[in-house]
Amino acid sequence: MKPSPGKKFSIILAAGCAGIFLCLIPAAGQTSAPRIPRLPDGKPNLTGLWQALGTADWDIADHSAAAGPFFQLGAIGAIPPGQGIVEGGQIPYKPAALEQKNKNFANRIKDDPEVKCYMPGVPRAAYLPYPFQIIQSQKDILFAYEYATTNRLINMGKPQEAATDTWMGTSNGHWEKDTLVVDVTGFNGNAWFDRAGDFASDTLHVVERYSLLDANTMNYEATIEDPATFTRPWKINLILYRHREKDARLLEFKCVEFTEQLLYGDLVRKPGK
Amino acid sequence: MNHRLFLWMAGLTTVIALAPLGSVAGQTAPKSSKAAADAKTPWGDPDIQGTWTSDDTWGVPFERPKNFGTRATLTEDELKDRQKRVQQSEEFVDTGGPNAHSPAVAELQAKEKGEAPPAPAQGRGRGVDSAPVPGHWGEFARRPSHQTSQIVDPPDGRLPALTPEAQAKLDAKTKLRREAIPASYTNWSYYDRCITRGVAGSILPVIYGNGLEIVQTPGYVAIRYEMVHDVRVIPTDGRPHLSSNIRSYMGDAVGHWEGKTLVVETTNFLGDRMAVGVNGDGGAPYSEDLKLTEKFTRVSPNTVNYEMIVDDPKTYTATWKVAFPITQEPGYQLFEYACHEGNMAMHNMLNAARMEDKKAAAAAAK
Repeated sequence: MKPSPGKKFSIILAAGCAGIFLCLIPAAGQTSAPRIPRLPDGKPNLTGLWQALGTADWDIADHSAAAGPFFQLGAIGAIPPGQGIVEGGQIPYKPAALEQKNKNFANRIKDDPEVKCYMPGVPRAAYLPYPFQIIQSQKDILFAYEYATTNRLINMGKPQEAATDTWMGTSNGHWEKDTLVVDVTGFNGNAWFDRAGDFASDTLHVVERYSLLDANTMNYEATIEDPATFTRPWKINLILYRHREKDARLLEFKCVEFTEQLLYGDLVRKPGK
Repeated sequence: MNHRLFLWMAGLTTVIALAPLGSVAGQTAPKSSKAAADAKTPWGDPDIQGTWTSDDTWGVPFERPKNFGTRATLTEDELKDRQKRVQQSEEFVDTGGPNAHSPAVAELQAKEKGEAPPAPAQGRGRGVDSAPVPGHWGEFARRPSHQTSQIVDPPDGRLPALTPEAQAKLDAKTKLRREAIPASYTNWSYYDRCITRGVAGSILPVIYGNGLEIVQTPGYVAIRYEMVHDVRVIPTDGRPHLSSNIRSYMGDAVGHWEGKTLVVETTNFLGDRMAVGVNGDGGAPYSEDLKLTEKFTRVSPNTVNYEMIVDDPKTYTATWKVAFPITQEPGYQLFEYACHEGNMAMHNMLNAARMEDKKAAAAAAK
């Protein structure tokens, strides 16, 4: 059969740029499907600098604009309004967990791990107001987050059980068609979901799904399961955007030293003593 | 010093382990050594991916002891001595060493039996501070290095003379670190503060946590280091360095391939903080003009030759070079090192220092 002009174009394109960085090849036989970058093995190439827009890190639920906790900061310290990323709008907390969430909110300036530059956990790492870099090899996939130089390696080989509980969990990935599915377990239960005090326990299990919508946008979905905290599994959903600025790259936000006066200041010798 | 041991305890939940489970990335059985050393990624770059460790150079002096002169390698007899020490450290790791008995555990066991706690051994106190260095946390060389020093250039294996400015900075730092009663967290190194160990500090071998993992994709090489969970994303697509107004602890790294060697040039460092030395604190603080040139060359399936050339005219009167192999070891795995999150040591050390201040003030008031 004579190839259609579209097909012919895609064949030429594929032959002409095999192995070239971020080569755009249409999905096989789907000339109308959006073009997404692929690696030589045909897998979608998620390599790039990504970031969520929106205000999910303030609160993953729907929320109105509000004054911030420090009036001195005026408008730059205020909380912007946001449409939530929780599917169905409701986080199905168990009663005791909801009480804890409210306590967390009341004490957020003291207790939010982000205030202290602690690792963000999953899924929060995906929608922090900082970019993250994906480096996708032919085997494993590295996620390097700008915030606190947090990073995690997605094991794409034989799934490994979590050897120990950690902030970022143990990540096992696989492909379901063009979607990267990452199963994360082995959390230590210390991370929060946002600055509003949403949280889970160390029995948290997150399944993330990364799907390129086109070359520069990616759908992010995560199923959250934690029988100790929630009455049922629930989902969050948001879009990640590729940084397309010329020469955009991951910078360094090592925030530990920005927290030391907060964490240890009362134990520093006072001047003149 | 005690605070090191405290830091170790702080790292308890997150520390390295030589866990037997799990596959080791990049250790698919090679057809031949030559083939694996020349392995290419599907997009044609030399493949240096996998989990590596600088353990084999643990115990090799950073600067060459003067009696070796310009001799860069050990004699056969010297090598046998080092082999013996390697065996000893391996036994230490296997058995927990001569101090395997933990006073803290003994105390608990005695309590269970309703007996009096055993007397503190070897002049140590009780509790956390009395715990011996746990052998299984330590890493060790698996084979003896032939090198007489980690520094291979200048030919005497010793650091070039410091500039007068750098010597003054080193003196000031040494004074700060040795203050008997530390005034602030800034008395401690950037490593003790869990900020970073910097580029050099992240690969120079120490007692544990010498692992690094290399991941490649078209246009990038990334290196993640276990200790203090550092990571570097290195573009290899020919782009220039960032603006000199953007500075950082790990600097701005750009790389390129020269044959089978990855060459990484790193600039844009924050000056006057870290040193090119053990844990990023050993030696004079480098200036913001520091340029590091690193070379990674895979020479066998399980070995990459690593080189680092240090160029900082404001600090050193000549360039100098460190070189050693990094290796892949069966079962070696990186674990999350949540240093800052578990840094109870900093709180405790400062708390103790303020108690000392109070004691001194009370004594002075008498």
